[in-house]
Amino acid sequence: MMPPHLWYLAPELWVAGLAALILLVDLACKGKGSREIPLGAAIALLPVAPILLLQVNLGTRTLLGGMYRLDPLALFFKVIFVAAGILVLVMTREFSRTLERAHAEFTALILLALLGMLLAASSASFLMLFVALELITISFYVMTAYLKTDARSLEAGLKYLILGSIASGLFLYGIAWVYGAAGTTSFAGLRQALAGRTTLSPGLALGLLLIVSGITFKAACVPLHLWVPDVYEGAPTPVTAFLSVGSKSAGFVAALRVLHELFLPASNQWAGLIAWLAGLTILYGNLCAIPQKNIKRLMGYSSIGHAGYILIGVAAASSLGSAATSFYLAGYLVSNLTIFLVISAFWQAVGSDEMADYAGLSRRSPFLAAAMFVALLSLAGVPPMVGFFGKFLLLLSAIQEGFLWVAIVGAAAVVISLYYYLLLVATMYADPPKDPTPIPVSLPVRLALYACLAGILGIGIFQEPCVRLSLAAVRSFF
Amino acid sequence: MESPILFYGLAFVTLLGALGVLLARHPVYAVLSLVAALFGLSGLFVLLGAFFVAAIQILVYAGAILVLFLFVVMLLDLRPDELSRLRSATWRGAALGLGGLLFWQTARVARTLPIPAGVQPVEGTVVAVGKLLFTTYALPFEAASLLLLVGVIGAVVLAKKKL
Repeated sequence: MMPPHLWYLAPELWVAGLAALILLVDLACKGKGSREIPLGAAIALLPVAPILLLQVNLGTRTLLGGMYRLDPLALFFKVIFVAAGILVLVMTREFSRTLERAHAEFTALILLALLGMLLAASSASFLMLFVALELITISFYVMTAYLKTDARSLEAGLKYLILGSIASGLFLYGIAWVYGAAGTTSFAGLRQALAGRTTLSPGLALGLLLIVSGITFKAACVPLHLWVPDVYEGAPTPVTAFLSVGSKSAGFVAALRVLHELFLPASNQWAGLIAWLAGLTILYGNLCAIPQKNIKRLMGYSSIGHAGYILIGVAAASSLGSAATSFYLAGYLVSNLTIFLVISAFWQAVGSDEMADYAGLSRRSPFLAAAMFVALLSLAGVPPMVGFFGKFLLLLSAIQEGFLWVAIVGAAAVVISLYYYLLLVATMYADPPKDPTPIPVSLPVRLALYACLAGILGIGIFQEPCVRLSLAAVRSFF
Repeated sequence: MESPILFYGLAFVTLLGALGVLLARHPVYAVLSLVAALFGLSGLFVLLGAFFVAAIQILVYAGAILVLFLFVVMLLDLRPDELSRLRSATWRGAALGLGGLLFWQTARVARTLPIPAGVQPVEGTVVAVGKLLFTTYALPFEAASLLLLVGVIGAVVLAKKKL
């Protein structure tokens, strides 16, 4: 019989143990058979899903000196993180064929970043949140620069490191101010101290501003978005995929915790600022995506645009806005990872990320082209895909809270995004292929793509259970 | 705070060191000024009764990390003229403007900051810090150990030629 506390921490312990096991097994096998490690890790992650489902019955509880909390929001995001982790590991299996060395370490770093995300979702103190976010970011620094012979990968790693350190500094300085003004870093204590306060003292306001800027770095929003295109382009494709889904979700779970759980009473002080950031981020991401030629760069700008949409839900500061944020991230997970699975399969076969080389993909691999098509439509927000319903909920929450102009900006940006997404679709379907050889799709990737497509259409058509879950996840805040 | 003179003296040393980091022409002088700033800071920690943090500040930061800084600076062997690109008037103006804004804002906020109720002066001995690390902060402490593991893996993977 496990001690009760360990049962609460089971997903984290599982992932940490798996990472350690991989490092040890690789050491014992002297690197033989290390190419199958990513797939093994993906399969070994599958049992975490039932563990998370069983944990639903545990209810909300804070433990370990007020550092760790299990609540519905944490569970909702943990499901997102674990799903992202499994899909990224499937992608890594293909990718590691081109990796010359250190396969096991790559998988271990992915798992440790995943562990950071799980801990970030369950943080109940600013200190824990900071350590968890650092665990994510530092793993990503290393993974971004992993292709040592590729100058773009090294450049991306260096840029991410420098800008990330600045963002961490801002975040930490903000925590110091909040601690100075409120006398505690624990979320429970802060929630008590902030309850009913509609205006923030200057110290708290400065702290909150700095913390939010640190979070905008993780979530890739204006004004700390400059790293995104270069890092997305230079990093190995599985890393880019994990960055765009996992790291972004971690940023947003932190945003929900800080802004909606703690600083909700003073929402009139920050909601306007966040709404402005949302509008600017949407416009920046979508407008800059238009002239892109490299598909990973395009996805970088598009991910900035989506971060802007999600910020709308944060700005709305209502239970609908909060739930829409969670719902959208779940939809974004399946849509974006579908695209990255295709990008990675395409890169394995063709060795290019240029959009021009996607010409005639429909003839070379109808399945990949169709999957990409569905996912792009979902990202643009076309019904009945999941992206449509997510955008609908976000814009609805903005209108309800009086941010009509942000909703209009968001709706206009849908048209812009349709333009550049459909341009890619046209290249895939209308243009003749330069080289008509078919592109092979391995069984794990095929299964992962089926799962993602099932998610896009399944959640898109039967939205109710997922909306219900995301509403339940944030119920305790409002 | 028993002796204001001691506090102001140490604060002055810290600020002077920090200014030295900014204004030094040569990177080596900048690193050495940082040592002075860290010594001042650790003196401030002593005044607060946080002896353990003060000792760590000197041993780890002023000792180990800054020696590492010096190594890197000397290995890179930057000449002042290579740095002059960063010292152009535009960059200086922008940095001064942003820094001034942050300073003004921080000073304004700091003046209004009340000391929050319920904050107890902590005992900064090794025993007290150790107790906190293994009780309240056990989970972040353990997570930090994984952080270090990531750092070690990263250093080996990125720096080692043959693996």
